[in-house]
Amino acid sequence: MASVRVAVRVRPLIKREKEVSAKVIIHMEGSTTSIDCNKKHLSKGTPGTGLKDRGRQSFSYDFSYDSTDVGSPNFVPQEKVFKDLGCDVLEAAFDGYNACVFAYGQTGSGKSHTMMGSPGDFGLIPRICEGLFCQISEKSQGDVASFRTEVSYLEIYNEHVQDLLTTKKSPENGSGLKVREHPKDGPYVEDLSKHLVQNYKDIEKLLHAGKAKRTTSSTGMNDVSSRSHAIFTINFTQARFDAELPCEMVSKIHLVDLAGSERADATCATGARLKEGANINKSLVTLGIVISALGGDRGGSHKGKRKKQLFIPYRDSVLTWLLKDSLGGNSKTIMIATLSPADVNYSETLSTLHYANRAKNIFNKPTVNEDSSVTVIRKLQEEIVRLKRLVEKNNQALLSPQDLSKTLKVEEKLHKNEVKVLELTREWTNKWGETQNILKEETVALRKQGIGVVMDSKLPHLIGIDDDLLSTGTILYHLKEGRTLVGRDEASSNPDIVVHGAGLLEEHCVFENRDGVVTLIPQTGALCSVNRLETTQPCQLTQGAVIQLGRGTIFRFNHPKEAAHLREQRKCCAVGYISNKEKTHLQRNASSTSSKLSL
Amino acid sequence: MASTYSHEWRAVCDKFNNAQDLSEVESRKDPENDPFRSKYKARELLREIYCSLKNFDVDSPAGSRAAKLGAVEYYLGVNHVETEELSAGEEHLMNCMTLLEKCSISPENVSLFIQVRNQLGILWAGRDEIEKAQGFLETAEAMYIRYMKEDGQPPMDLTEFFVAEEEALPQQERTKRFEMAYTHTLYYLAQVYKNLEQYEKAGGYCHSTLQRQLEFNQFLPLEWAINAATLSQYYITKTLYMEGRHCLSAASVIADLAGEVPSEAAAQESEAEAEKRDQLRQKRAEIARCWIKYCLNLLQDAKKLLEDNIGELDMDRQAELRATRLKEEEEKERGRKSAVLFGSSDTFDSICGLEEKVSCVFPVDFEEARAIFLVGQTYVNQAKEYFEMDGHVTDHIEILQDHSALFKALAFFEEDLERRCKMHKRRVDMMEPICKDLNAQYYLLVCRQLQFELAETYYEMMDLKLAVANKQDDLDAHTVKKFNHLCSSSTKFYQMFLDSVRSPEGKWPEKLEDEVLRPALVAKFRVARLHSRLISSSKTIQLENLNRSLECYNFVVQYCKDNPEAKSAIETELELSEEMVSLLPLKINRLQANLASSN
Repeated sequence: MASVRVAVRVRPLIKREKEVSAKVIIHMEGSTTSIDCNKKHLSKGTPGTGLKDRGRQSFSYDFSYDSTDVGSPNFVPQEKVFKDLGCDVLEAAFDGYNACVFAYGQTGSGKSHTMMGSPGDFGLIPRICEGLFCQISEKSQGDVASFRTEVSYLEIYNEHVQDLLTTKKSPENGSGLKVREHPKDGPYVEDLSKHLVQNYKDIEKLLHAGKAKRTTSSTGMNDVSSRSHAIFTINFTQARFDAELPCEMVSKIHLVDLAGSERADATCATGARLKEGANINKSLVTLGIVISALGGDRGGSHKGKRKKQLFIPYRDSVLTWLLKDSLGGNSKTIMIATLSPADVNYSETLSTLHYANRAKNIFNKPTVNEDSSVTVIRKLQEEIVRLKRLVEKNNQALLSPQDLSKTLKVEEKLHKNEVKVLELTREWTNKWGETQNILKEETVALRKQGIGVVMDSKLPHLIGIDDDLLSTGTILYHLKEGRTLVGRDEASSNPDIVVHGAGLLEEHCVFENRDGVVTLIPQTGALCSVNRLETTQPCQLTQGAVIQLGRGTIFRFNHPKEAAHLREQRKCCAVGYISNKEKTHLQRNASSTSSKLSL
Repeated sequence: MASTYSHEWRAVCDKFNNAQDLSEVESRKDPENDPFRSKYKARELLREIYCSLKNFDVDSPAGSRAAKLGAVEYYLGVNHVETEELSAGEEHLMNCMTLLEKCSISPENVSLFIQVRNQLGILWAGRDEIEKAQGFLETAEAMYIRYMKEDGQPPMDLTEFFVAEEEALPQQERTKRFEMAYTHTLYYLAQVYKNLEQYEKAGGYCHSTLQRQLEFNQFLPLEWAINAATLSQYYITKTLYMEGRHCLSAASVIADLAGEVPSEAAAQESEAEAEKRDQLRQKRAEIARCWIKYCLNLLQDAKKLLEDNIGELDMDRQAELRATRLKEEEEKERGRKSAVLFGSSDTFDSICGLEEKVSCVFPVDFEEARAIFLVGQTYVNQAKEYFEMDGHVTDHIEILQDHSALFKALAFFEEDLERRCKMHKRRVDMMEPICKDLNAQYYLLVCRQLQFELAETYYEMMDLKLAVANKQDDLDAHTVKKFNHLCSSSTKFYQMFLDSVRSPEGKWPEKLEDEVLRPALVAKFRVARLHSRLISSSKTIQLENLNRSLECYNFVVQYCKDNPEAKSAIETELELSEEMVSLLPLKINRLQANLASSN
């Protein structure tokens, strides 16, 4: 549920602005905010903004809150802001997730009004806290759970972390507190003080105490807090019994006051980002930033091209580091930017709008690096082809003009065979892959008879009887209509059946299948015998004939049709699934059978 | 003239020194609330100098006087720019330009010629007028080149306009300052090109900047080393491994110039030593991480070149790469090398020595790949010493992920499937325990990455196990068990990933977030496939698995139906899923029929 919602809110004109008869340049409609471009600034060419659209510039956010005119029906009160944004935060916290509220805006743009509010018109923080303690007391009463709420408050100034709530004096020249990561407890600040709180009053007190401690600086242009980020964190632990087992859930709510000026980012030595726009960094100290921007994220734009994994040795800014769990993780993140409506604040307001617009992208979300699924896809495609073949065959069977009962019978037989195949799958572990493959080719069928296995095929075929004692495989060669040449693999004529062994010629003999009648034609000088009778002449083969080629290569000839005919004569029932698919020969081919186990 | 106005002149020189001191030294101590105090004081002094100069008689050579006035204008210009008064700054700098028009380039003023253009470059870049900036800087570059060609003697420094003759700088110092100014020109040009998105040019200028820092001994070892290491990452994106390796070797050698790492004992005694220890260890570990990426990308890019369409090593491509590599290697290397060399005489040999330890050409076979892998692994171990799990969780894990990726890339080159499988096992062994230990609340993204990678690795192992079994004819009950175990482990981690997308109540989001959209759908798709691959002798279980498989395929199809915008993210997988959704029921029906008929 990682999500970032961005809202902007514009306040009414204030007295000072009215005095200089400032004009309202912010307009809101739905979730869109637009700003009238200031001619004065356009002509001057404000640095960093460019001379884009003259007239009006529009931005789209999750929420645009118009609070310029209390009297207007469109006026957005605190309550509405809380309902839209704050409630989610609370919900997340009680669900055990982290939540994060960022506030950003020029001083005087209504940031504290939105965040803190005033008595009688409370802002987000008091409302969230009130909601928190309200729910706590509700839930504690029912004895469902007990709660513990601790807060801490820190400031990041020039990449140094300072505890805003400690009474201890921070070390004089120290580089601030260290930020680290714990595998179970997440990112943390070493030695940061935590303070137990019971109600919003406690929190309020601490907020004020911390605020007073924040680095104060004011250069004619920059206000007090604009150069430091502050993070107020509520650590919230729920303890309860879940099925008699103690169970603890921790969630954090970060309330972040972002530095009003990006200057703070640009000046610090580490973790600095390049300033937007075309600025040139003057000092060679920033060379590293320039270099690191070269390798940047540009690789991702080309689809299909692998994005290279690089390491850019510039650390995340402390802010990003500390809020990692909120920015990228399972948390509810809200960003509120506050605006002044007046034309006199044009530059700052525009920069705020830009910043808020970019906010979603600021949170870098590395996603899962997924391997290319090419092999997986390949194999699935193969399976789909097989399945389709099955369907086709089915359809053919159904379309055949035979009566329905017959087709049903075929189906049933088909099923029966598949059952057997599956059973065999289990037992035939030795020849697992090959068998499976052959089965899938569906030219032959295997069935179990007693403890034996019978291989059925429709075509006349040869069964290889290997004299190699260690061989456990059985080879089946189909004898298709026409000539099937048997010979050694060095033969130039590419024999259909390749044989090895003593006494074999390059082209040894031919099996000719003409209308189901199979004849053995020995080539000149070839040693062939049928049923132990040596022959040099063509010889018609009958079911069960034993053929010896050369000195040790023996085949048994099977002619299923003939056999069936014979069996019929003997009044035996025919069994077996007959495939209508033909295949020349099914040599053992281990490599092509790899991992086709899925059927 | 100095003698004529010796008294007044001395006053001018003193004032100038004062101004310099205020601007460069005092200004750093200015309080936050008055940051430009010293700069303003310096400005006053410069103005006085300007008036004095104007009042001096014109008996000096016209060029000399103009150049002096130009120098004051220059300093005034810089002063205004630094105090954020750009327009005034521009005016002074342009005055300087006008004054210089009266002069021809000479050893006295060439520095000013260059530096005023540097400043104008920065100024215009800040106003988004990048071409204008480019013009000034490129002119400066050309002036330097011309001067060095035509004259070449160490020119006067700007400050020497305002010192007594006897205080003139030694030649060496003059060279140093002049070259430094030019180094800045190059650095600014690098930024201009970067902003113009001419990244190659920008990279070249960054490289030159680094080279010159080294050449003129103007660098801090650690900072320089990190920059060079960062530049290596840019070269990796450009597949320029020779340059990348050179940067890394130089980075390692120069980082060593920063001295020995203080011992732990020393660090405990003094804060400064502790800081130094941490810095040195961190930077060296970061350089090691850049090396890891170098090795990793070199292996991965080679893999990309060598793999066929199902991700296996393609012999033809291997032969091809071997041949082209031989041809290109020599000529290319010679040509490129002279252009990019880093190092002074004393470091050059060490840099070359380090380069020789790892190849910069694509490995074509296992032996070559292994050599690169081993170097990568050494750096993995080095990097892990600093980036320990405790305190540096995300960094530590990223290094582990790289280690895993190194194994994965190496496995591609390994022909022996059994050994390949073992490499993947190593990946599992390093990631699985971490994945279990990590709190997803804080490290959700990392967790997801690990889960996904583990799932993919188990998947890979399962495929390999099967291929091995098929080859060896020994798929026994044990192997089937193992196969099923790998299947379920893969499923388990995909499932964990998928669960991480659920809401706290365990509900699937109606809409997947962009960053998890594709991974989540891919995970579903894979889980579908995995379910159908499980081997079981029980038909009931088979049926169950197939039904689950169908469910998952259905999910993918349905999700894309409900969210058509998701289609483009997962095109191929969706197409396959759609087919499976139409085909699988057939298979399921049959199995059901079987089950019915066998009961």
